[in-house]
Amino acid sequence: MPATPARQPATHPAPRDTSGDRAIDIRDVSFAYPLPPDAPATYRPALERVSLSVREGERLGIVGPNGAGKSTLLKLILGMLEPSSGGVRVLGEEPREARARGLIAYVPQKSDASTQFPLCVRQVVEMPLVARLPAWRGLGREDRERAMHALELVDMRGFAERHIAALSGGQMQRVLIARAIVTRPRVLLLDEPTAGVDVAGQRRFSELLQRVHAELGLTLVIVSHNLRAVAAGCDHIACLHRTLHSHVTPEGLTPQVLAEVFSHEIEGIFGDVHVDAHPASACGHDHGTHHAHDHSCAHDHVHADERMKRTDTKGGS
Amino acid sequence: MRTITYLSDPDLRALLWPWLVTGLSVALLAAPLSVLVVLRRLAFIGQGVSHAAVGGVGVVAMLGLAGGSLAATGVIAGACLLAAAAIAVISDRRSTSEDSAIGIVLVGSMALGVLLLQLAHNLGRTGFGSWEAALFGALTSVGPQDAWIAVVSAILLGGTLWVLWRRIVFWAFDEAAAVSRGVPARAMRWALLVLLTLAIVASMRLVGAVLATALLVLPGAIAMELSSRMGRVVAIALLAASFGMVGGIVASIELNLPPGACIVCALALMYGAARGWAWLGRRRASENISAGTPAMGGRG
Repeated sequence: MPATPARQPATHPAPRDTSGDRAIDIRDVSFAYPLPPDAPATYRPALERVSLSVREGERLGIVGPNGAGKSTLLKLILGMLEPSSGGVRVLGEEPREARARGLIAYVPQKSDASTQFPLCVRQVVEMPLVARLPAWRGLGREDRERAMHALELVDMRGFAERHIAALSGGQMQRVLIARAIVTRPRVLLLDEPTAGVDVAGQRRFSELLQRVHAELGLTLVIVSHNLRAVAAGCDHIACLHRTLHSHVTPEGLTPQVLAEVFSHEIEGIFGDVHVDAHPASACGHDHGTHHAHDHSCAHDHVHADERMKRTDTKGGS
Repeated sequence: MRTITYLSDPDLRALLWPWLVTGLSVALLAAPLSVLVVLRRLAFIGQGVSHAAVGGVGVVAMLGLAGGSLAATGVIAGACLLAAAAIAVISDRRSTSEDSAIGIVLVGSMALGVLLLQLAHNLGRTGFGSWEAALFGALTSVGPQDAWIAVVSAILLGGTLWVLWRRIVFWAFDEAAAVSRGVPARAMRWALLVLLTLAIVASMRLVGAVLATALLVLPGAIAMELSSRMGRVVAIALLAASFGMVGGIVASIELNLPPGACIVCALALMYGAARGWAWLGRRRASENISAGTPAMGGRG
């Protein structure tokens, strides 16, 4: 069944029609945050009539500027927020139920986890397994092996006994992914996973996610305000700015689409940005080796100067 | 040595054991909580709640209740819980931050306590005891009943903390991820607040309202200087709290000084020593890094 964007221009290519059931089904969802009593309005709309579906095993990237409602959408999928109207189903269930059954895992922005805690890498990965056990029971051999396998998948097995304060930002991010997949969820949500990571780090991260996806067959949803971070490793890209502007394959994410989505915000959010005039298919470059300044790369579509690098580190919506 | 006299004389020994039992029970409860307080940066909340006890003491004094009675303990615990709830409710509003909410509750309850204590004094209701005892603790105010309350509190609250420990650590470490795994964040926060409040109430008779919060910070801070493993951190916090309690009580007996101040000073000295040991370890490690030899000191 094809994906159902809320407002998809006829000129945009339709999402690839892959087989399989729907993992996430978002129907006509709106959400607004309440404002203080003395504010001019009662509510601040965050999402308006967003419809989107993701098939099992699919990798979806959601891009948009800060404040576009990306993290709000993730929280709605997780069942941490209730939509003002419309509905969300995850693997055919209410998000809260799916979450309670361990079907969804979530990797928040890395700043949420404090590295000051006296914990080693293994203990962090085992946290979701340990938290569901009664206090008087220890982890079984199977669970311990599962934790080590999760670490192996993210190339961190050799760091199992290392204190988390001794890890780099990228290593910590991999540990958090291992923690997310240790319970074998079917849907993995990542919020700004490459915030503050350089271009080479983003490429390595993308390769890692592809390996995890291939091994576990997860449905992946990656939210970022950085298009480069999600374009390479996703089957579909959804452009969100309060409403869903497009939901297309990376190849269909033409400069025209980006110009439409980011027409007013691009200068402020991405810095001094050049929108490439060449379509993705015209680019013969190896996308993995492009530098941020390389204007000939069509995969990224959007190229920025040093100001973009700085804004990349500001975090999500 | 007055302590030796207390230990050898049967009558004095009957006075000493409630102090030690109360101290060690409070240490058992406060040590693991202090690790969470330090990691979750809740020291100021502890301060707000402990100072709310002064308001409770004022109410107790006005009601003419005896300081060591169960009713008085209940009233003080109620005041502290009310303060914790008030902090949570006030800071829930977007217009007021959590530290502002704590500041408001702290000074409000302190002022109320001072007014009520003075009013009770003016009315001749002196059943509770002195202001100094309420604020800084007094050995003479701790009797066998207090010891039993402290033991039962340590068993019940320590047991609750043990049951919740793994979930609370997950929540404290990474709230968003914990919530996504079904750990109820609000329940964890409330559980920790209630446990902190009751630990403060349990320790108040010995160390006083003003200094009670130190027990919920210093053992954890000492342990964090000495280890980077959770199990060891909790164990060191337990040892530090126990040594601080016993050392402070002994110093209070020997020097005839308020026990609360002695206990807190003992813990503060231990913190200074731990910090020095950690600094020494880091320095030696940096010196020996090229030689490849292990350094003494630092975090294990």
